[in-house]
Amino acid sequence: MKDFEYIQPETVEAATAALATKENADWATAKARVFGGGQDLLGEMKTGLEEPSALVNVKWIQGLGGVTQADGGNLKFGATTKLRALEGLFSSGAFQVLSEAAKTIGSPQIRTQATLAGNLCQRPRCLYYRRPEAKCLKKGGDECFAYGGYNKFNAILGGGPSYIVHPSDMGPALMALDAQIEISDSKGTTEMALDDFFTLPSDGDVTRENVLRPDQVVISLRTGLDTPSEWRSTYLKFQERDGFDFALSAVALSLRVQNGAITDARIVLGGVAPRPWRCREAEQLLLGSMEAASLAKRGAAAADAALLGAEPLEHNAYKVPLTKGLLQRALRQLTA
Amino acid sequence: MGARDQHGTGAPWGDEFRAVGKSLRKIEGLSKATGEAVYADDIMLPGMLHAKLLRSPHAHARIVSIDTSKALALEGVHAIITGADLPICYGVIPWTKDENALAVDKVRFIGDEVAAVAAIDEDTANAAVRLIEVEYEVLHSYFDPNESLVRHEPAIHPGNKHGNISKRVELEFGDLESAFASADVVMEEDFVFHGSTHAAIEPHCAVARASADGLVTLWSSTQITHYVQREVSRVLGLPQSRLRVIQPTLGGAFGGKSDPFSLEFVVAKLALITGRPVKMLWTREEVFYAHRGRHPMQMRYKTGIKKDGHLTGVEATITIDGGSYSSFGLVTTYYSGQLLTGPYDFPNYRFDSTRVFTNKPPCGPKRGHGSVQPRFAFEIQLDELSEAIGMDPIEVRRVNDIGENTKTVNGQRVTSNGFGRCLDEVERASEWKTRRGKLPLGTGLGVAGSMYISGTNYPIYPNDMPQAGIQLKVDRSGLVTAFTGGNDIGQGSSSVVRTILCEELGLDPLDVRVVAADTDLCPVDLGAYSSRVTFMVGNATIDACRKLRKQIVEAVAAKWEVDAKRVYLGSGEVFDTEQRETKITTREAFEIAEAFHDTLGSTGAYNTPTLGGDYRGGSIGASPAYSFTAHVVEVDVDVETGMIDLKNVWVAHDCGRALNPMLVAGQMEGSAYMGIVEAVFEDHKVNRFGLHSGPSLLDYPLATALDTPELHALIVESIDPEGPYGAKEAGEGPLHPALPALSNAIYDAVGIRLRELPFTPGRVLTALRAKAALDKETKGASC
Amino acid sequence: MLAMSTPISLELSINDDRVRASVPAHWTLLELLRYELGLTGTKQGCDKGDCGACTVLIDGKPQLSCLILAANAEGKKVQTIEGLQPAHRKAGGVGLDPVQDAFDRCGALQCGFCQSGMMLSARALLNENPTPDRTEIRQALSGNLCRCTGYTQIVQAVELAIAESTGAEPESPSWSDGNPWKSTTSLSGKNGGDA
Repeated sequence: MKDFEYIQPETVEAATAALATKENADWATAKARVFGGGQDLLGEMKTGLEEPSALVNVKWIQGLGGVTQADGGNLKFGATTKLRALEGLFSSGAFQVLSEAAKTIGSPQIRTQATLAGNLCQRPRCLYYRRPEAKCLKKGGDECFAYGGYNKFNAILGGGPSYIVHPSDMGPALMALDAQIEISDSKGTTEMALDDFFTLPSDGDVTRENVLRPDQVVISLRTGLDTPSEWRSTYLKFQERDGFDFALSAVALSLRVQNGAITDARIVLGGVAPRPWRCREAEQLLLGSMEAASLAKRGAAAADAALLGAEPLEHNAYKVPLTKGLLQRALRQLTA
Repeated sequence: MGARDQHGTGAPWGDEFRAVGKSLRKIEGLSKATGEAVYADDIMLPGMLHAKLLRSPHAHARIVSIDTSKALALEGVHAIITGADLPICYGVIPWTKDENALAVDKVRFIGDEVAAVAAIDEDTANAAVRLIEVEYEVLHSYFDPNESLVRHEPAIHPGNKHGNISKRVELEFGDLESAFASADVVMEEDFVFHGSTHAAIEPHCAVARASADGLVTLWSSTQITHYVQREVSRVLGLPQSRLRVIQPTLGGAFGGKSDPFSLEFVVAKLALITGRPVKMLWTREEVFYAHRGRHPMQMRYKTGIKKDGHLTGVEATITIDGGSYSSFGLVTTYYSGQLLTGPYDFPNYRFDSTRVFTNKPPCGPKRGHGSVQPRFAFEIQLDELSEAIGMDPIEVRRVNDIGENTKTVNGQRVTSNGFGRCLDEVERASEWKTRRGKLPLGTGLGVAGSMYISGTNYPIYPNDMPQAGIQLKVDRSGLVTAFTGGNDIGQGSSSVVRTILCEELGLDPLDVRVVAADTDLCPVDLGAYSSRVTFMVGNATIDACRKLRKQIVEAVAAKWEVDAKRVYLGSGEVFDTEQRETKITTREAFEIAEAFHDTLGSTGAYNTPTLGGDYRGGSIGASPAYSFTAHVVEVDVDVETGMIDLKNVWVAHDCGRALNPMLVAGQMEGSAYMGIVEAVFEDHKVNRFGLHSGPSLLDYPLATALDTPELHALIVESIDPEGPYGAKEAGEGPLHPALPALSNAIYDAVGIRLRELPFTPGRVLTALRAKAALDKETKGASC
Repeated sequence: MLAMSTPISLELSINDDRVRASVPAHWTLLELLRYELGLTGTKQGCDKGDCGACTVLIDGKPQLSCLILAANAEGKKVQTIEGLQPAHRKAGGVGLDPVQDAFDRCGALQCGFCQSGMMLSARALLNENPTPDRTEIRQALSGNLCRCTGYTQIVQAVELAIAESTGAEPESPSWSDGNPWKSTTSLSGKNGGDA
């Protein structure tokens, strides 16, 4: 790993001030990196994918971790909240999806160190991206090697020109709770829907997975459900290894149940698209009675709708039936 | 085999065993428990430099020029070497020396070693590596073994007589035509075995120091100290006597440390040049490049069976992807055919195996060298044949059991054989009879069997000297020290030596030391490969103990003025069997013996008897004893996701006699784990650019504690007539049946035959869809 | 030598000793332990957080020393494998920490390379939950890859340590009718284990 300057600010203001250099306004020239748990960034630095000249460690900033109550029964999670802390927090209800997602990430050791914001901002696991020798689209090259190469783990939805899948588990889980993300830079703080935070390769900068600039710091995540007490949620992740693995496909599902009927729903897929993939049309198909036969029928229709636009590559067609199966299973589990 | 190499199978004192058969702690276990054990990378020497390699970015290229001047100018850089500094070729097999420590003229895979830097620290060495400028002329690269079969220009090894063919072996025994004509069912199918690698958790590391008088000491994470000494001294132009090779505590090997490797030559050379100790630790990526893992094989098997279950003949055609160098490939090619001829008796057999070169990391021996792939194919085909004749697959295996004291179709002598009991054990423990075929959809049981060598008759380089030698030092303190060239790689070989010393001389384990794998101190032993250690080192140890015991008993008898036959030495005390009150401690007996004979000591050795078929290559695959294994695997298959959930593996293994049941069970469980997870998770390959697809323990996933099934080790003891107290191997044989038994279990669970590895969810889903389509079609046709 | 940024000075507790060190900013805790302090019981298996061999306890929790900057360990309480037995003795125990002893008696230490991390994960689990079930054990150890054992003797070791702490009889392994570990309690194991 190349040497760097290590900066350890005690306040958000000091952190954003340290990041507010001219070159740090753009990823192409950025030299300083925000450092949280470091579980992804250090790996990237060790393989030579990232060679920052400075790290700004935000983990010691007071008030940037922890869970607090927000409006109307919603919750606010500090950016440096450890995944390990989320694991055991919710065993039912609207926020269950968060604990279930957190539990599936990395290994116990990694979850102890890894942060919530870090999970949202981690870089792709694409086999080509991770090889410094392969100058792919994501690294400023002009070809997505996965497209014509080995693409078992790559995108079936939203791909092109890059076909990475977004590696985050907390992203889909939080999006299923209509989360907002709070971001600071030296000019102030803004909040946006997490849905607007993530980007597709075709949206603009193909080398990034979200709108965060290198001079910005994620501050918090806030759920935005209407009446959380009426919601229930779950996260189903399909991984080849039970430990230490990313999703081949994952489903974050949340349902609002009023008077025995589903009145609102969120379906967000992980592991199948370059960003957490919300399925709005499929969500509408889930609304209605909780009667098993009808629900199963609507679940199948929703699964078909969710995967309607899927365009599998040579080695990842299995993700289509797999994801459909997962979605229906999540629905069964959540309505049992 | 000389009389000196046979010691009988019973307890040395004619009554019960005292140490053998007990699950004693390992000799080095506590040093590992406390973090005290010193592995290669734990060695820190004063003034030590750190070395790093420049590796090829091209899969196949000619080196036009190398300019190291900028790198040499970097402060902290002490030396840089290239292929020109180490031009002599090496290779573990004497007839196929085709490797260079650093590339000379050509690179043959992405990751091939090109130049090495010694610097004050790793960061500086890495920075210097980036400053070396190499000009390459890129050549056509071969990634598909089928292309290498037919295209020979450009040749990956231009001097090779057969173009890009590394080795071809064709052998035929009996008459295949009439074999298939007499069969009731003949099946012919294709099977594909992907590649896999060892992935020992310890990366390769070597440290060298050159003394002022030109003696070189090399510490290396190797499992073959002796061959490293031979090859490194030859390439360096040193007499073997001036190179000391030491294997420190080793963090796993599985065959992945049984070649000499670039880093060993490089650190020795750099130490000689700089006059300072030099260390090289490979990164995890580099370990994946070093590879020497299991060869990918494309296999076609044709097998005939009669309705009564008897096999009539087997024919195999195999293409082996060897990667860029020969390594053990000559042996691999033979093994792919030679080791299939048990545990089943088939009177006719033909195999045609061809190993080719490709521009990928070189393949070599991984646990179950050369025979895991054919076993995978054959045991699945056997399952299909069982179904075709309507016979229980365990029963078919029983019917064809080759039995004991017999010869295989290719002329290998089989003595002890506990295969039938292995089948009985897995059948009983898995409740096969009441469960198989009756489990709910998605759950299944599958069986497979295998046979493996306990050491090989073929000592890599032909010679008449012992394969294993050991030396004992004894003195008045009561301590016995054994010096063995045997490599303890975690499997417990030094613990086996200790157990035998305790048994033979009646010692407390804490009064035994074992000094192992240090070429200055220990007699030659060929190393930890081909499952030879327990059998050969064990026999050598008994040999040395018996000679020493004779000396001690003789001295005590003289002192007591009784016949030597009356002196008992076996339980920590020495007494007169006819007058029990005349007794002394073992330590006192050593004193008497030291006074009587002068300084005490003894040597022991083992060599194999003349074995093997009477034809070219007939000694390859010949072993003084064979181990036998049967597995039953229980699996759950999720038809919605294609996920395979490994539930249970029952492993019955005939290890002859279990010298330490706990260690035997550990080898059986470790083998079963390694086999079954390589079927599901692992896939060692390069992408279309020749770049390793994922050289990390994340992208090449190893099973965690959550993924590994419950493993049930069931020890079967056949008591081999020539093994030490009847012992045979347990470290490799128990791996073989895991993969085909899994495939057979998946068939039992959901009715799909998987003949191509690895068994990914995608592959399972595709097969399930194909089956559903076929079922629909047949149903439609019958309507 | 390469130009370095200002070294980081830090103070932390390692195996109950107060340690002051000055290291390059890019050094990980693993490098500090192995290169600066000579605590080589902590192993480097992959250096990328993929194998768990470098696991140490930080404030009692298993973490990866290869993915933690030394600077980030400032003020923390770090325990390495070298500290396990001394901590056990300090707490009034005799012999080894029961986890270490059980790993040895059960054969879990084959090559041993992954085991310092594995034993620390097991120790942390038992500190948090003295009687975990098998699933909980497998979960707690899932961040430590072992290539030798197939995890069977490791799980047996943890279960033996639990059984002996509660006075329960451990489950017999498949290869023995009884408790083969009972008689290996003495270090020499002279009368060790009838299988």
